[in-house]
Amino acid sequence: MLEINNLKVGYDGTTVMELPQLSLSSGEHCLILGASGSGKTTILSTISGLLAPIDGEIVLDGHSYKDLHGSAMDEFRGRHIGIIYQTLHMVSALTVLENLLLAQYAAGLPQDRDKAVNLLEHLGIAGKKNDKPETLSQGQQQRVAIARATINDPKIIVGDEPTSALDDNACETVMELLLHLASSSNASLVIATHDQRIKRHFHKQITLGGSQ
Amino acid sequence: MNSLSLSFAYLRHKVLSTALTITTFAAGVAMIVVMLLVNAQLQNEFSSNLKGIDLVVGGKGSPMQLILSSVFHLDVPTGNIPLDEAEKLGKHPMVKQAIPLALGDNYRGYRIVGTTRDYPEHYHARLKPGGRYWGKEMEAVLGSEVAASGALKPGDTFSGSHGLTSGGELHSGFPYTVVGVLEPTGTVIDRLALTGRESVWFIHEHHDHDEDEDEHQHGAHDHHHDDHADAHEHGDEREITSLLISYNSPLAAVGLPRQINSSTSMQAASPAFEIARLTAFMGTGTDTLKYFAWFLIALAGFGIFAGLYNAMNERRYDLALMRSFGARPGKLFALMMSESLVVSLVSVAAGLAMGHLLVEGIATWLAGSKHIHMTGRLFLMEEFWLIPAGLVVGALAALLPAVRVYRIDIFKTLVQR
Repeated sequence: MLEINNLKVGYDGTTVMELPQLSLSSGEHCLILGASGSGKTTILSTISGLLAPIDGEIVLDGHSYKDLHGSAMDEFRGRHIGIIYQTLHMVSALTVLENLLLAQYAAGLPQDRDKAVNLLEHLGIAGKKNDKPETLSQGQQQRVAIARATINDPKIIVGDEPTSALDDNACETVMELLLHLASSSNASLVIATHDQRIKRHFHKQITLGGSQ
Repeated sequence: MNSLSLSFAYLRHKVLSTALTITTFAAGVAMIVVMLLVNAQLQNEFSSNLKGIDLVVGGKGSPMQLILSSVFHLDVPTGNIPLDEAEKLGKHPMVKQAIPLALGDNYRGYRIVGTTRDYPEHYHARLKPGGRYWGKEMEAVLGSEVAASGALKPGDTFSGSHGLTSGGELHSGFPYTVVGVLEPTGTVIDRLALTGRESVWFIHEHHDHDEDEDEHQHGAHDHHHDDHADAHEHGDEREITSLLISYNSPLAAVGLPRQINSSTSMQAASPAFEIARLTAFMGTGTDTLKYFAWFLIALAGFGIFAGLYNAMNERRYDLALMRSFGARPGKLFALMMSESLVVSLVSVAAGLAMGHLLVEGIATWLAGSKHIHMTGRLFLMEEFWLIPAGLVVGALAALLPAVRVYRIDIFKTLVQR
């Protein structure tokens, strides 16, 4: 489902790191480990289609990133990739529920209010649906970000340090929710983190700046 | 959710900066509205007073002064003209109508004008119910403002005072009786008290006799003969102040004024020409004012632009986020445009309302002055152009940031920062 070959990633013409090969089948998850500055975010952004690769090939669900440019890439990303940013990027002008609807609206998908409310209920934050995101705790905002990344049923869910800011309990809950949501839509999780607590959930792990 | 509901969410979220943008924008629009309304009404005031008057004939002197004193009732007259000469001119084949004016007294600073019924009829003035025009000496018909100022109605009496400004000697022995009040006309008539020419002559014959007696007592022997001749004049050669003439044919303008100026003791002046001269005199002043107004409008326009541009620029994280969720550029473009256009529309509406309120305020403030009349309850066609113009400004202000959205680097905006 996700095929990566001879990938060189970086920005402003500088290669930050290389990934010779990675292959994930549907529903297969992968953890990218590494210290700060090891290029986790850069490779995650490249897989998300936010950053063009310097060299190499990425194919997701039969679509090569080479053929997708500009707004075509945006549109492809909207329907196939769910992104949980490290800084969560909540839209502060909108309520929690509207933040979810925004993802559907932006992707050009029908706005399914019931689906969004169900998702929030599932994540235990339905009571906050009409609140502005900044009134929520960090853990609650993290769940909104997860809901927003998964509402369009993406093929892969990409998360940049989704648990590092959370305490042990919250970290465990968030990981369980992510795994549950991914398995219910048969999506792959690609998580970059330095958080050692979540290692045990992943069979496939890449450690940057070292061996695979 | 659509671009309009999203726009409203953003506008609500930043109430203060939205209010600031709208206030700046509306202030600019209001300024334009004030300029349009004041200009239109001043022009109208000029032209409605001038309407149909082709030539003014009065005593020799400054032609400008003659126009100002006889048409707008602003300056003092240039002197009197003999009635018989004036009447002879009134019968000239090229003259359609000649309205005589005899000035001399005032009531509370409002001029008392001895004339004929042609004068109010020239300005399409109508009597308020219960009134009539003067029939004999010392009967007067008041312009709406004069009546309001003195709280006078038909049947009341008032005394004029000597001279054309208030504070002169009171003719308390010869009170006028109000027989009618005119509806407001928006012309100089509103600020005049009208009567027959006979009343003015009547008062001043008596007044002048008093003065003659004074001079006799002083024993000014040299003046004795003159006084006598003067008294004789009152009987046979009466005088008026000026004549307002309308031509039968435009050809009259070629020869008539020159004929009057060269062959009679009177002076003829063309209002159109003198007003053009006046405008030319004041040209530098009004031009400076006009440029200043345009400068302010340009400044307001720039303020609007900067306000919207800033609001749009602050939005780039959210716009980048929407793109990362797959929003097509057209969708973001529509969002920016609808937000900017909503702001523009609200601002133009607020500006129009503000402008009219301001002019109404100025009008109330000017109501104390006797020369300028204005209202904020006037709507001009030009104002409707402000709506599309405002929308264009809004669209332009959103255009630049909206185009930049296409080039935004999502990675650098959202991930790297």
